[in-house]
Formats: sequence, C-alpha cells, structure tokens
Amino acid sequence: MSSTITIALAVARKDLRAEWRTRELVPALAQFVVLALVIANFGFQIDARNAPTIAPGVLWMALVFAGLVAFGRTFAAEREQASLEAMLMTPASPVAIFAGKALGATLLLVGCEAVLLPALTLFFGTPLSFPIIATVLLATIGMAALGCLFAAMVARVRARELLLPLLTLPLWIPFIVAGGQAVQVAMGASGTYDQALALLIDFDILFVVLTSLAARFVLDE
Amino acid sequence: MNRYEKAAAAAVALMVLAAGAIFLFAPTDALQGPVQRIFYLHVSSAIAAYGCFAVVLLGGAIYLRSENLAADRLARAGAVVGLVFTTVCLVMGMLWAKPIWGAFWTWDARLTSTLVLWIIYAGYLLVRRLAEPGRQAARFAAVVGIFGFVDVPVVHFSVTWWRTVHPGPVIVNDALPPEMLATFLFTMACTLALATVMIAIRYRLETLAAGPVPEAAKVVAAVGSPDAEPVR
Repeated sequence: MSSTITIALAVARKDLRAEWRTRELVPALAQFVVLALVIANFGFQIDARNAPTIAPGVLWMALVFAGLVAFGRTFAAEREQASLEAMLMTPASPVAIFAGKALGATLLLVGCEAVLLPALTLFFGTPLSFPIIATVLLATIGMAALGCLFAAMVARVRARELLLPLLTLPLWIPFIVAGGQAVQVAMGASGTYDQALALLIDFDILFVVLTSLAARFVLDE
Repeated sequence: MNRYEKAAAAAVALMVLAAGAIFLFAPTDALQGPVQRIFYLHVSSAIAAYGCFAVVLLGGAIYLRSENLAADRLARAGAVVGLVFTTVCLVMGMLWAKPIWGAFWTWDARLTSTLVLWIIYAGYLLVRRLAEPGRQAARFAAVVGIFGFVDVPVVHFSVTWWRTVHPGPVIVNDALPPEMLATFLFTMACTLALATVMIAIRYRLETLAAGPVPEAAKVVAAVGSPDAEPVR
C-alpha cells in the first residue's frame, strides 16, 4: 500500500515537473477560462442584477471544458513519446501509475481553477467564498477520477478528441447537478447547500472507488 | 422458419395482443382521456431498458473477469436493444407530455437522467466502433457499461430523490384500478419477451459476425469444404 502511494506521488511529481519546465498547459487553460468568461459576457448581456444567476452556469461550463482539455492532455504526452508502455513494463502496479497521473492532472486543473474563480469574482462581481471553493474542489476530485480513466481509454482509440467528451460529459453530469446547486446556493439562490455538498461527496466516493477498480483493465490493454 | 424467426413471430404476436389489451380492455382514464394509454408501453419499455442495461453490466463484468467472448457479445446485444427501448420510452414520454404538461420536454430530473442514460449507451456503442476490434473494444466497452449503469438507479429513484413533475411509482403504491394493473402487467411481460427475443437475435448476429459457427464447421467436416475438388 505504501509503495502504491510512493509510486503515485512519483508519477504525479514527474508530470508536474514536466509541466513546470514547459509551462504549456496551465497558462493555456487559464487563458481559455478567461476567454470563456469574455464570451459569456457577450452571450448573456451581463449586468449587476443577473450576474449571480448566470455566474454559476458560466463557472461550470468553463470548468467542464477546461477539465476535458486538461485530462485529454494527461495521456497525450505519454502517447506522443510512447512512454506509457515503458512505465507499464516496470513492476509498479497500473493502479498506482493511474493514481499518479490522475493526481497530477487534478493539481493542474486546480491551478486553472485558481485563475477561474478570482476571474469570475472580478468580472461578474460574485462572492469568492469558502463554500464555493470547497464545492469546486470536491467536484474536481470525482471529475478527475472519471476524466483520467476515460482519457487513458481514448488515448489508444481512433478519433480520441471526439470520444473523450462523449464518454466523460454524461458521467460528469451528477457532479454538475450537485455542484451547480451548491454554487447557486452559495451565490444567493434558495436551496440547501449541505445536502448538495453531501451528494457531491457521495458521488466522489462512488466514482473514485469504481475508477480504482477499473483502472487496471483500461491501462493493461 | 428457424427458431429465431419463430421466436420473433411469437414476440410480435404478443405485442399485438398487448395492443389489443391496451386499446380494448383497459378503461379510459377519467382525467387524461385516451392519451393515458401511452402509459402501458412507456413504463414497460423503461423497465425493459433497465433489464437490457443490467445485461450489459453483467456481460461486461463477466468479460472483465474471465475474458469470455460470449459474455461480451451478450453485453453488446443488450446495449443495442436497451438503446432501442430507451428511445421508445423517451419518444412515447414526449408524446404523452405534450398534451398533459403542455410541452414535449421539461428539464425534470427523470427526463434528464433518462436522456443521459441514452447518451451514455450511445457512447458505449461508439466505443465499440472506434476502439480496436477485439480485446481492446471489449474491455473498454465493458468499463463504459459498468460506469454507465450507475445512471440506472439514478433514473429510477430520481422521482423520489428530487422534486419532479414526473409521477412516481404507481404500481408498487397500488394506485391503479385492477383492469389497468392487469393490462400493464401483461404489456410488461410481452415487452420483456420482445426484449429477450431481440437480444437473442442480436446475440446470434454477433456470433455469426464473429466467425465460423460450430455447426458450419461440422457441416464442412461432413461434406467437405466447397473449395475442395468435387467428388466424381
């Protein structure tokens, strides 16, 4: 067990170091989410009155598409260098390698969220409170587990850019349902925040367990 | 007629009988009028779709455990048939919703989760088409089928978990008069029989597409290959 964690941390550290040296993905994602906010501004005619009702939707839209790009890239670099096969040939368990890749991708997406949330506050005037940050981070865990699993799958498939959103988005919907409600409540809509957050945690546990069971079959192939 | 054709004919005959029960035997709803008759096939096809996706789940799990090719073919057959029944359920629901709710579609928890179910299994079939045929396609599809099944209980319990306009369970709550209940149970049995026959035929097609079947091999062994020299 401890070796699994060590390997996962090593793989995550490798991915983060590669990102730190090239600085490609996080700046691109940050620019992408800011662009999404700009486009939302023109699409919705945002003013101080309607901003709190529109902002949660824009937040999840931007986050979902940034997540797709981030998780799609997770295995793209490995595929381009054909280094995934080499990693899988080591005695390290596929689950540990997958956990490391997922952890690295999650942290990169959190980096992108660190731009998205303040930008949302800046442009839309919505509060940047602890409940909103907690919701987004909790949703990120489950979304990353699912996103990385399907990214690992489509990395070996034709038309991967097409297939990743088709497989991932329907399964992300539970997170958007619960997270969307929690953020709406945190931005002033009526409803119960705690219930939505509890649902989010349930989905996190469910999908992290399912993903860790399935990872072996996807990576082994 | 081979036995698949016989089974197909029997299933169609059962569906005609069910139609007879729906239109001639079941009483007209006092509030909604004749449009309520959609109920019988709408709910039956939803249950048939659940069953088909359970077949996908089981087939996928067995395949991941033992690499059993028959289980993979069964899962694939279940996905195709389940998608057909989900489509029937959605379309009939929309036709029912227009006169009663005033719109074909509302973003209600059950409608939305059923639509997501449809998209998930459409994705399942796309994975089968795009992945490398053989072990990779079977494995990836099995994983999608197992994850996708998470949405089935969500669809089923959506009417209890969230506030929705879609009516809740009427069968277990004993809310139907006996003639309606009898018609519903008969229609459901016929629909499940139809789904079973469709899965069996689809499974047969998958088996035929997968390569020479044992019977054909036996025939070849008995009479010789068609390519061989004719016996004089």
